[in-house]
Amino acid sequence: MNNPLRLLAPALIPSWNFFDVIAPSPRVEYALSETATAAPAAWTEFRPRPARVSILTMLTRLFWNPRWNQSLFVTACAERLVDQPTAHSEDEIFRRLAVDLPDDAAGWLAFRLAFVSRQGETIEREVLFQAAPRRLETLR
Amino acid sequence: MITLTGAARLTELMLALALLQQSLEHLRGLRDERILFGARIALCLLVLAGVARPWPLVGMAGLSLLILQRFQGPYNGGSDRMGLLVLWSLALAELMPSRPLQELFFGYLGAQLMLSYFVSGAVKIVNPDWRSGRALSDVFRFSAYPVSEGLRAWAQRPRVLLVMSWAVMAFELAFPLTLLWRPALIAGLVVAATFHLANACLFGLNRFFWTWLCAYPAILWLQGRVLGH
Repeated sequence: MNNPLRLLAPALIPSWNFFDVIAPSPRVEYALSETATAAPAAWTEFRPRPARVSILTMLTRLFWNPRWNQSLFVTACAERLVDQPTAHSEDEIFRRLAVDLPDDAAGWLAFRLAFVSRQGETIEREVLFQAAPRRLETLR
Repeated sequence: MITLTGAARLTELMLALALLQQSLEHLRGLRDERILFGARIALCLLVLAGVARPWPLVGMAGLSLLILQRFQGPYNGGSDRMGLLVLWSLALAELMPSRPLQELFFGYLGAQLMLSYFVSGAVKIVNPDWRSGRALSDVFRFSAYPVSEGLRAWAQRPRVLLVMSWAVMAFELAFPLTLLWRPALIAGLVVAATFHLANACLFGLNRFFWTWLCAYPAILWLQGRVLGH
Protein backbone atom coordinates (compact mmCIF):
# COMPACT_ATOMS: atom_id res chain seq x y z
CA MET A 1 0.00 0.00 0.00
CA ASN A 2 1.27 3.45 -0.90
CA ASN A 3 1.80 6.19 1.68
CA PRO A 4 -1.03 8.80 1.27
CA LEU A 5 1.46 11.68 1.19
CA ARG A 6 3.18 9.98 -1.72
CA LEU A 7 -0.21 9.68 -3.43
CA LEU A 8 -0.90 13.36 -2.74
CA ALA A 9 2.35 14.66 -4.23
CA PRO A 10 1.32 14.35 -7.94
CA ALA A 11 -1.77 16.42 -7.16
CA LEU A 12 0.20 19.22 -5.51
CA ILE A 13 2.95 19.21 -8.16
CA PRO A 14 0.97 18.19 -11.26
CA SER A 15 2.39 17.18 -14.62
CA TRP A 16 -0.75 18.24 -16.61
CA ASN A 17 0.11 15.81 -19.42
CA PHE A 18 -3.50 14.88 -20.20
CA PHE A 19 -3.95 12.73 -23.31
CA ASP A 20 -0.35 13.31 -24.43
CA VAL A 21 -0.47 9.82 -25.93
CA ILE A 22 -3.57 7.67 -26.47
CA ALA A 23 -2.63 4.51 -24.62
CA PRO A 24 -4.20 1.06 -25.10
CA SER A 25 -7.60 1.09 -23.45
CA PRO A 26 -8.80 -1.67 -21.12
CA ARG A 27 -12.12 -3.50 -21.31
CA VAL A 28 -13.09 -5.51 -18.26
CA GLU A 29 -14.80 -8.79 -19.04
CA TYR A 30 -16.20 -11.19 -16.44
CA ALA A 31 -17.48 -14.76 -16.34
CA LEU A 32 -19.27 -16.96 -13.84
CA SER A 33 -18.56 -20.67 -13.55
CA GLU A 34 -19.73 -23.45 -11.25
CA THR A 35 -16.29 -24.41 -9.96
CA ALA A 36 -12.96 -22.67 -9.51
CA THR A 37 -11.31 -24.87 -12.09
CA ALA A 38 -14.02 -24.90 -14.78
CA ALA A 39 -13.16 -22.86 -17.86
CA PRO A 40 -15.65 -19.97 -18.26
CA ALA A 41 -18.24 -20.69 -20.96
CA ALA A 42 -18.53 -17.05 -22.03
CA TRP A 43 -17.03 -13.68 -21.14
CA THR A 44 -19.32 -10.67 -20.70
CA GLU A 45 -18.18 -7.07 -21.02
CA PHE A 46 -18.61 -5.08 -17.80
CA ARG A 47 -21.08 -2.23 -18.36
CA PRO A 48 -20.97 -1.94 -22.15
CA ARG A 49 -21.84 1.49 -23.51
CA PRO A 50 -25.38 2.21 -24.70
CA ALA A 51 -25.87 2.84 -28.42
CA ARG A 52 -27.08 6.41 -27.79
CA VAL A 53 -27.22 8.90 -24.92
CA SER A 54 -29.55 11.89 -25.19
CA ILE A 55 -28.34 15.46 -24.67
CA LEU A 56 -30.71 15.76 -21.72
CA THR A 57 -29.11 12.72 -20.08
CA MET A 58 -25.63 14.15 -20.75
CA LEU A 59 -26.61 17.39 -19.03
CA THR A 60 -28.26 15.57 -16.12
CA ARG A 61 -25.03 13.64 -15.59
CA LEU A 62 -23.25 16.92 -14.86
CA PHE A 63 -24.97 16.71 -11.48
CA TRP A 64 -25.40 12.95 -10.96
CA ASN A 65 -23.03 10.49 -12.59
CA PRO A 66 -22.07 7.84 -9.99
CA ARG A 67 -22.28 4.80 -12.24
CA TRP A 68 -20.05 6.26 -14.98
CA ASN A 69 -17.52 7.59 -12.46
CA GLN A 70 -17.38 4.15 -10.86
CA SER A 71 -16.78 2.62 -14.29
CA LEU A 72 -13.89 5.08 -14.81
CA PHE A 73 -12.44 3.97 -11.46
CA VAL A 74 -12.65 0.33 -12.56
CA THR A 75 -10.85 1.33 -15.78
CA ALA A 76 -8.14 3.04 -13.69
CA CYS A 77 -7.76 -0.12 -11.58
CA ALA A 78 -7.45 -2.16 -14.78
CA GLU A 79 -4.65 0.12 -16.02
CA ARG A 80 -2.92 -0.08 -12.64
CA LEU A 81 -3.15 -3.90 -12.66
CA VAL A 82 -1.13 -4.05 -15.85
CA ASP A 83 1.30 -1.22 -15.02
CA GLN A 84 1.90 -2.00 -11.34
CA PRO A 85 -0.10 -5.04 -10.20
CA THR A 86 -1.49 -4.86 -6.65
CA ALA A 87 -4.01 -6.91 -4.70
CA HIS A 88 -5.90 -3.64 -4.09
CA SER A 89 -6.69 -3.09 -7.78
CA GLU A 90 -7.77 -6.71 -8.23
CA ASP A 91 -9.94 -6.59 -5.10
CA GLU A 92 -11.60 -3.35 -6.21
CA ILE A 93 -12.54 -4.76 -9.60
CA PHE A 94 -13.86 -7.99 -8.06
CA ARG A 95 -15.99 -6.12 -5.51
CA ARG A 96 -17.53 -3.81 -8.10
CA LEU A 97 -18.23 -6.65 -10.50
CA ALA A 98 -19.88 -8.61 -7.69
CA VAL A 99 -22.27 -5.87 -6.61
CA ASP A 100 -23.34 -5.36 -10.24
CA LEU A 101 -24.47 -8.98 -10.63
CA PRO A 102 -28.07 -10.05 -9.89
CA ASP A 103 -28.77 -11.15 -6.31
CA ASP A 104 -29.46 -14.73 -7.40
CA ALA A 105 -26.12 -15.08 -9.25
CA ALA A 106 -23.85 -17.71 -7.67
CA GLY A 107 -20.66 -19.65 -8.32
CA TRP A 108 -17.15 -18.50 -9.07
CA LEU A 109 -16.44 -15.08 -10.55
CA ALA A 110 -13.44 -14.41 -12.80
CA PHE A 111 -12.43 -11.41 -14.84
CA ARG A 112 -9.93 -10.61 -17.53
CA LEU A 113 -8.59 -7.39 -19.03
CA ALA A 114 -8.57 -7.00 -22.80
CA PHE A 115 -6.62 -3.97 -24.01
CA VAL A 116 -7.73 -2.28 -27.22
CA SER A 117 -5.22 -0.32 -29.27
CA ARG A 118 -4.56 0.85 -32.82
CA GLN A 119 -1.70 -0.80 -34.69
CA GLY A 120 -1.31 1.08 -37.94
CA GLU A 121 -4.80 1.13 -39.41
CA THR A 122 -6.23 -1.81 -37.52
CA ILE A 123 -7.75 -2.04 -34.05
CA GLU A 124 -6.37 -4.91 -31.99
CA ARG A 125 -7.48 -6.55 -28.74
CA GLU A 126 -5.08 -8.36 -26.46
CA VAL A 127 -5.84 -10.02 -23.13
CA LEU A 128 -3.09 -8.92 -20.76
CA PHE A 129 -4.45 -10.10 -17.43
CA GLN A 130 -6.76 -12.77 -16.11
CA ALA A 131 -7.65 -13.02 -12.43
CA ALA A 132 -8.00 -16.32 -10.63
CA PRO A 133 -11.69 -17.03 -9.89
CA ARG A 134 -13.16 -16.11 -6.50
CA ARG A 135 -16.32 -17.46 -4.89
CA LEU A 136 -19.03 -14.84 -5.47
CA GLU A 137 -20.48 -15.16 -1.96
CA THR A 138 -17.18 -14.00 -0.43
CA LEU A 139 -17.24 -10.78 -2.47
CA ARG A 140 -20.60 -9.47 -1.29
CA MET B 1 -10.56 43.92 -8.53
CA ILE B 2 -11.42 40.82 -6.55
CA THR B 3 -9.78 40.76 -3.09
CA LEU B 4 -7.80 37.85 -1.70
CA THR B 5 -10.42 37.30 1.00
CA GLY B 6 -13.28 37.43 -1.50
CA ALA B 7 -11.58 35.14 -4.01
CA ALA B 8 -10.60 32.63 -1.32
CA ARG B 9 -14.13 32.53 0.10
CA LEU B 10 -15.63 32.13 -3.38
CA THR B 11 -13.19 29.27 -4.11
CA GLU B 12 -14.08 27.70 -0.78
CA LEU B 13 -17.81 27.83 -1.53
CA MET B 14 -17.41 26.45 -5.06
CA LEU B 15 -15.12 23.67 -3.84
CA ALA B 16 -17.51 22.69 -1.05
CA LEU B 17 -20.35 22.44 -3.58
CA ALA B 18 -18.21 20.41 -6.02
CA LEU B 19 -17.03 18.00 -3.32
CA LEU B 20 -20.56 17.75 -1.93
CA GLN B 21 -21.78 16.66 -5.37
CA GLN B 22 -19.00 14.05 -5.62
CA SER B 23 -19.57 12.82 -2.08
CA LEU B 24 -23.30 12.32 -2.64
CA GLU B 25 -22.41 10.09 -5.61
CA HIS B 26 -20.26 7.94 -3.31
CA LEU B 27 -23.20 7.33 -0.97
CA ARG B 28 -24.29 4.79 -3.60
CA GLY B 29 -20.93 3.04 -3.26
CA LEU B 30 -19.53 0.41 -0.92
CA ARG B 31 -19.98 0.67 2.86
CA ASP B 32 -16.50 1.97 3.74
CA GLU B 33 -16.88 4.64 1.04
CA ARG B 34 -20.15 5.78 2.54
CA ILE B 35 -18.47 6.40 5.92
CA LEU B 36 -15.62 8.45 4.41
CA PHE B 37 -17.84 10.49 2.13
CA GLY B 38 -20.54 10.93 4.77
CA ALA B 39 -17.87 12.66 6.88
CA ARG B 40 -16.88 14.80 3.90
CA ILE B 41 -20.50 15.84 3.35
CA ALA B 42 -20.65 17.10 6.95
CA LEU B 43 -17.42 19.08 6.48
CA CYS B 44 -18.65 20.54 3.16
CA LEU B 45 -21.80 21.77 4.89
CA LEU B 46 -19.70 23.42 7.63
CA VAL B 47 -17.56 25.13 4.96
CA LEU B 48 -20.68 26.37 3.17
CA ALA B 49 -22.05 27.70 6.45
CA GLY B 50 -18.76 29.45 7.18
CA VAL B 51 -18.56 27.85 10.62
CA ALA B 52 -15.24 27.64 12.55
CA ARG B 53 -13.14 28.71 9.56
CA PRO B 54 -10.65 27.40 8.46
CA TRP B 55 -10.92 24.14 10.43
CA PRO B 56 -13.59 22.34 8.37
CA LEU B 57 -11.43 23.00 5.31
CA VAL B 58 -8.34 21.71 7.13
CA GLY B 59 -10.40 18.68 8.17
CA MET B 60 -11.29 18.07 4.53
CA ALA B 61 -7.60 18.22 3.62
CA GLY B 62 -6.83 15.63 6.32
CA LEU B 63 -9.74 13.46 5.20
CA SER B 64 -8.46 13.61 1.61
CA LEU B 65 -5.43 11.59 2.75
CA LEU B 66 -7.70 8.82 4.06
CA ILE B 67 -9.63 8.87 0.77
CA LEU B 68 -6.38 8.65 -1.21
CA GLN B 69 -5.33 5.72 0.97
CA ARG B 70 -8.71 4.02 0.48
CA PHE B 71 -8.51 4.13 -3.32
CA GLN B 72 -4.69 3.97 -3.49
CA GLY B 73 -4.75 7.15 -5.56
CA PRO B 74 -7.39 9.44 -6.98
CA TYR B 75 -10.80 7.86 -7.63
CA ASN B 76 -11.21 9.76 -10.89
CA GLY B 77 -7.71 10.68 -12.08
CA GLY B 78 -7.07 14.27 -13.13
CA SER B 79 -10.34 15.72 -11.88
CA ASP B 80 -9.75 14.47 -8.35
CA ARG B 81 -6.16 15.69 -8.49
CA MET B 82 -7.38 19.19 -9.38
CA GLY B 83 -9.84 18.98 -6.48
CA LEU B 84 -6.94 18.08 -4.18
CA LEU B 85 -4.82 20.94 -5.53
CA VAL B 86 -7.61 23.45 -4.90
CA LEU B 87 -8.30 22.02 -1.45
CA TRP B 88 -4.70 21.96 -0.24
CA SER B 89 -3.74 25.33 -1.77
CA LEU B 90 -6.73 26.94 -0.12
CA ALA B 91 -6.29 25.20 3.24
CA LEU B 92 -2.59 26.08 3.39
CA ALA B 93 -3.33 29.70 2.35
CA GLU B 94 -5.90 30.04 5.09
CA LEU B 95 -3.58 28.53 7.69
CA MET B 96 -0.70 30.87 6.90
CA PRO B 97 -0.04 33.54 9.54
CA SER B 98 1.00 36.33 7.17
CA ARG B 99 -0.50 37.94 4.09
CA PRO B 100 2.49 37.27 1.77
CA LEU B 101 2.37 33.54 2.56
CA GLN B 102 -1.40 33.47 2.05
CA GLU B 103 -0.91 35.13 -1.33
CA LEU B 104 1.85 32.68 -2.21
CA PHE B 105 -0.30 29.57 -1.69
CA PHE B 106 -3.43 31.03 -3.29
CA GLY B 107 -1.39 32.44 -6.19
CA TYR B 108 0.14 28.98 -6.68
CA LEU B 109 -3.34 27.66 -7.44
CA GLY B 110 -3.91 30.38 -10.05
CA ALA B 111 -0.53 29.70 -11.64
CA GLN B 112 -1.20 25.95 -11.76
CA LEU B 113 -4.53 26.56 -13.49
CA MET B 114 -2.72 28.49 -16.20
CA LEU B 115 -0.16 25.67 -16.50
CA SER B 116 -2.94 23.06 -16.68
CA TYR B 117 -3.93 24.51 -20.04
CA PHE B 118 -0.51 25.52 -21.35
CA VAL B 119 1.33 22.27 -20.54
CA SER B 120 -1.58 20.18 -21.85
CA GLY B 121 -1.27 22.04 -25.15
CA ALA B 122 2.52 21.73 -25.21
CA VAL B 123 2.56 17.95 -24.69
CA LYS B 124 -0.01 17.51 -27.45
CA ILE B 125 1.62 19.66 -30.09
CA VAL B 126 4.91 17.76 -29.96
CA ASN B 127 3.02 14.54 -30.78
CA PRO B 128 2.55 13.97 -34.58
CA ASP B 129 -0.67 12.04 -33.88
CA TRP B 130 -2.20 15.13 -32.28
CA ARG B 131 -1.03 17.40 -35.11
CA SER B 132 -2.65 15.10 -37.69
CA GLY B 133 -5.91 14.69 -35.76
CA ARG B 134 -5.17 10.99 -35.33
CA ALA B 135 -4.96 11.10 -31.55
CA LEU B 136 -8.42 12.62 -31.17
CA SER B 137 -9.73 10.05 -33.64
CA ASP B 138 -8.26 7.33 -31.39
CA VAL B 139 -10.00 8.85 -28.36
CA PHE B 140 -13.35 8.43 -30.09
CA ARG B 141 -12.48 5.14 -31.77
CA PHE B 142 -11.28 2.95 -28.90
CA SER B 143 -10.66 4.86 -25.66
CA ALA B 144 -12.80 4.18 -22.58
CA TYR B 145 -14.27 7.71 -22.57
CA PRO B 146 -17.06 8.14 -25.17
CA VAL B 147 -20.35 7.75 -23.29
CA SER B 148 -22.11 5.91 -26.14
CA GLU B 149 -21.23 3.66 -29.06
CA GLY B 150 -22.84 6.25 -31.34
CA LEU B 151 -20.14 8.77 -30.45
CA ARG B 152 -17.48 6.40 -31.78
CA ALA B 153 -18.68 7.28 -35.29
CA TRP B 154 -16.94 10.65 -34.85
CA ALA B 155 -13.68 8.78 -35.45
CA GLN B 156 -14.77 8.59 -39.10
CA ARG B 157 -14.74 12.40 -39.48
CA PRO B 158 -11.00 13.14 -39.83
CA ARG B 159 -11.35 16.72 -41.08
CA VAL B 160 -13.61 17.73 -38.19
CA LEU B 161 -11.25 16.07 -35.71
CA LEU B 162 -8.23 17.77 -37.28
CA VAL B 163 -9.87 21.17 -36.82
CA MET B 164 -10.93 20.26 -33.28
CA SER B 165 -7.41 19.07 -32.41
CA TRP B 166 -5.80 22.29 -33.59
CA ALA B 167 -8.48 24.42 -31.92
CA VAL B 168 -7.82 22.69 -28.59
CA MET B 169 -4.01 22.92 -28.91
CA ALA B 170 -4.08 26.56 -30.06
CA PHE B 171 -6.39 27.56 -27.23
CA GLU B 172 -4.35 25.73 -24.60
CA LEU B 173 -1.05 27.17 -25.81
CA ALA B 174 -2.44 30.71 -26.11
CA PHE B 175 -4.12 30.67 -22.71
CA PRO B 176 -1.23 32.39 -20.83
CA LEU B 177 -1.61 35.41 -23.16
CA THR B 178 -5.10 36.01 -21.80
CA LEU B 179 -3.48 37.00 -18.51
CA LEU B 180 -2.37 40.27 -20.09
CA TRP B 181 -5.86 41.77 -20.27
CA ARG B 182 -8.83 41.21 -17.93
CA PRO B 183 -11.54 40.90 -20.67
CA ALA B 184 -9.32 38.40 -22.53
CA LEU B 185 -8.92 36.31 -19.36
CA ILE B 186 -12.65 36.29 -18.73
CA ALA B 187 -13.28 35.29 -22.36
CA GLY B 188 -10.56 32.61 -22.08
CA LEU B 189 -12.17 31.17 -18.96
CA VAL B 190 -15.58 31.08 -20.67
CA VAL B 191 -14.06 29.18 -23.61
CA ALA B 192 -12.24 26.83 -21.23
CA ALA B 193 -15.42 26.17 -19.25
CA THR B 194 -17.23 25.39 -22.53
CA PHE B 195 -14.42 22.94 -23.36
CA HIS B 196 -14.85 21.22 -19.98
CA LEU B 197 -18.63 21.15 -20.50
CA ALA B 198 -18.15 19.40 -23.86
CA ASN B 199 -15.83 16.86 -22.22
CA ALA B 200 -18.40 16.29 -19.48
CA CYS B 201 -21.14 15.64 -22.04
CA LEU B 202 -19.18 13.53 -24.53
CA PHE B 203 -16.89 11.65 -22.15
CA GLY B 204 -18.86 11.72 -18.89
CA LEU B 205 -16.16 13.76 -17.15
CA ASN B 206 -18.52 15.80 -14.99
CA ARG B 207 -16.00 16.11 -12.16
CA PHE B 208 -13.53 17.90 -14.45
CA PHE B 209 -16.10 20.58 -15.20
CA TRP B 210 -16.82 21.43 -11.57
CA THR B 211 -13.30 21.15 -10.14
CA TRP B 212 -11.65 23.28 -12.85
CA LEU B 213 -14.27 25.98 -12.31
CA CYS B 214 -13.29 26.03 -8.62
CA ALA B 215 -9.82 27.35 -9.53
CA TYR B 216 -11.10 30.26 -11.65
CA PRO B 217 -11.36 32.79 -8.79
CA ALA B 218 -7.67 32.15 -8.01
CA ILE B 219 -6.49 33.06 -11.50
CA LEU B 220 -8.76 36.11 -11.62
CA TRP B 221 -7.29 37.27 -8.30
CA LEU B 222 -3.73 36.45 -9.39
CA GLN B 223 -4.04 38.47 -12.57
CA GLY B 224 -5.32 41.48 -10.64
CA ARG B 225 -2.54 41.08 -8.07
CA VAL B 226 0.22 40.87 -10.69
CA LEU B 227 -1.04 43.48 -13.14
CA GLY B 228 -2.64 45.73 -10.54
CA HIS B 229 -6.10 45.69 -12.17
